[in-house]
Amino acid sequence: MKKKVIVACGGAVATSTIAANKVVELCKKNGIDVTICQVRISEIPSNLPADLIVPTSRVKRDFGVPVITGMPFISGVGVEKTEAAILKVLKDD
Amino acid sequence: MIWEELNPALVFTDVDVSSSDDVMNQIGGALIREGYTKESYIQALIERENEFPTGLDVDGYGVAIPHTNVAHVNKAGTAIAVLRNPVTFHVMGGDDDETVKVSLVFMLAVVDPDKHIEELQQILAIIQDTAVLEKLKHATSAEEIITTIAEKEKAS
Repeated sequence: MKKKVIVACGGAVATSTIAANKVVELCKKNGIDVTICQVRISEIPSNLPADLIVPTSRVKRDFGVPVITGMPFISGVGVEKTEAAILKVLKDD
Repeated sequence: MIWEELNPALVFTDVDVSSSDDVMNQIGGALIREGYTKESYIQALIERENEFPTGLDVDGYGVAIPHTNVAHVNKAGTAIAVLRNPVTFHVMGGDDDETVKVSLVFMLAVVDPDKHIEELQQILAIIQDTAVLEKLKHATSAEEIITTIAEKEKAS
């Protein structure tokens, strides 16, 4: 089944593009069919439902969808752990 | 590669600032002076930083990558600043009380994130290399910064 991932940052300017590319790469490598929806944090609600949200900013609200921060893709610290967590969510069910 | 695009007029060492707003004013001001961004850039940077902070803790190295909406930008560019004394930034994606002491600033003038994605990734490749950050932190001239980045980019 095709998965939908929302990648969100404050302005949908820079950091979410980086995170979005990383998620696409990761899914391709692992044979996961994925649609990426790159939005501003404020646009998340109107783009639901989704299987996963990967924000590069703070997300305070609970959208009823797993949230895994995309920050490691920016800082380079903890990338493997984040990738594993994303795969775990997307590979389930 | 980034180093080829760097404008020495936008690369600063020993920058004397006392706050993140100060960074925005001084470095953002340089981007305006050089024609990369509009007069509205500094205020937009500050507002965006307050709402969506850009401080990064890269294995103990405090780096910030302030940037803002394309509406305030004329042409793409990157300003780099090594701060004399670290200033506090909030952590990107962190909690309200999560801060990092930043000594290196990469200020981005972003026009079209899709077109400049490669450039952004190149900047992140520099930021993610702590050996490079260590060198940059102690750089004493714009030339040294550009050389350090050139060496890093040519090696990878």
